[in-house]
Amino acid sequence: MTRTGSPRLIGYASLAAVGLVAALALRRPELAVLAAPFALLLAIGTRTAREPRISVEFVLPAERALEGTEVEAVVGVHTDRAVDRLELLLELPRGVDVVAGSRTHALRLRPDESCELRVGLRCARWGVFDLGRVGIRARDALRLVTWEARFEHSQRLKAYPSPLTIQRLLAPLETQALAGSEVARAKGEGVEYADIRDFVPGDRVRAINWRASARRQGLVVNERHPERNTDVVLFVDSFTDVRGYGRSSLEEAVRAAASLATRYLERRDRVGLVGFGGVLRWLQPGMGATQRYRLIETMLETGVEPTYTWRDVNLIPARILPAKSLVLGLTPLVDQRFITALGDLRARRYDVAVIEVDAVPLVESGRSEIDKLAYRLWLLEREVLRAGLVALGIGVATWGDAELETVLEEVRTYRRYSRLAGA
Amino acid sequence: MTRGDDAFQEAGARIGAVALVALVAGVVLGWAPLIPVAAALAGGLYAAELAIGDAPLDVASPAVAAGLLLCTELAYWSLEERTRWRGHAGDGLRRAAFVAFLGVAAFLVATVLLALVDALRARGLALDLLGAAAAVAAIATVLVIARAQRQPNSG
Repeated sequence: MTRTGSPRLIGYASLAAVGLVAALALRRPELAVLAAPFALLLAIGTRTAREPRISVEFVLPAERALEGTEVEAVVGVHTDRAVDRLELLLELPRGVDVVAGSRTHALRLRPDESCELRVGLRCARWGVFDLGRVGIRARDALRLVTWEARFEHSQRLKAYPSPLTIQRLLAPLETQALAGSEVARAKGEGVEYADIRDFVPGDRVRAINWRASARRQGLVVNERHPERNTDVVLFVDSFTDVRGYGRSSLEEAVRAAASLATRYLERRDRVGLVGFGGVLRWLQPGMGATQRYRLIETMLETGVEPTYTWRDVNLIPARILPAKSLVLGLTPLVDQRFITALGDLRARRYDVAVIEVDAVPLVESGRSEIDKLAYRLWLLEREVLRAGLVALGIGVATWGDAELETVLEEVRTYRRYSRLAGA
Repeated sequence: MTRGDDAFQEAGARIGAVALVALVAGVVLGWAPLIPVAAALAGGLYAAELAIGDAPLDVASPAVAAGLLLCTELAYWSLEERTRWRGHAGDGLRRAAFVAFLGVAAFLVATVLLALVDALRARGLALDLLGAAAAVAAIATVLVIARAQRQPNSG
């Protein structure tokens, strides 16, 4: 612990010295009388002050929490000597708020006394937060000496993004070989009715449609669509984070990606992740609850690392982007490198769709005429970018204040229309 | 200039006002060095009164000493409470009682000291030497404390 004198110490010492010198100079004993209490306090305070041995524990009940929910942290304090006043400051990272209790406490402890403080914390946003930094300052009874220390307990709290409501997901154009919940376009063994055709040797008897066979004077069998799983790769733009009015495009993109990943995994689809930005992060497509945790914890590490180097899709290993997979881009459409990467993926015949996290409300136009003109040009450029992506066959929907469900429906509608147009 | 002189009273009022402003500024701005400055100004005003006055021994000095100590204690306390610390319900009252006790103790100590001075009435070389030694000791204490503050000990 670091021992320091409080401002009182210097102040009282100065006053005592000035009083005594003045008494001597003016030959007035009353001034010495004036200085005496200060000098006496100094003498007693510095003699009686003893350094206490204080230990501080910081315990979190869980390593993981949902963004916005309360987590109760317990701070335990123990001292071997009496402390007249122990000031305790919980140092919290940005994004973690105190919802119950206080981050500053003043305690009075007797010798060998322990104390437990409970503080309710809430993560305002998703992310990984380093908690457990506690600063303490002990004061003696006369408040002349202070002892300060900082305790660092490595307690990490992973705040998962809060899930968004999604009823219906975006279906990929093509399905994979494994069984799942998506009705394949191909015909085969399944539940969903597809068509009827003439019986051929080898067809199963249970597939015969007896009513249709009676009408057509020949055996006819039902054809069905099989239920298959799909591969979905969430392609998150981490080149830029547009912030403003308490919102962040990257935070919203990750929140949407986490919700989409959870929903796709619930229907036995394989989900992968590519965080495309200054730092390239990827996770091979997989399925199940473990994959969900892997995906979300990889997303939690997503942040903007500024870089000026050119990056393209060649950097992404081939196994991360399986054939016939749906690549779902989540981007504010600000960085040209990400937009080029989307075009490259489409050129490689991937099924690409884009959810544009609307950055326009987060950017304010300037006050001067030139600034306003620049803002209008920027809006026009964004329109051109969107049109360019649509021309490549990439469905783009802007996600602003609307529900994500609505945005997905917009992409779905575009894809249905474009398929009809292409047919 | 005499004690009842208008010029002295005007100068005294000005110095008192400056001391008050220094004290308030120290508390409001949270700048601790202004507090002893304010106390020193108030003490200086009292010293000027003593120097001009002709009383052999001012019996009000214990009250002045206790008042100065109370003022500085309360000012430092308010600085400590600038941050909102969540503590026990009775902490404030306990501290207030302790500060009051300090004031009373200061008054008693100063009274005993004044009585001692009055009893001795030794206005000669012995008192001067004693005073000089006390002043040197006080300054040495300040220097030692200042040096100790720059050498944090870890534990």
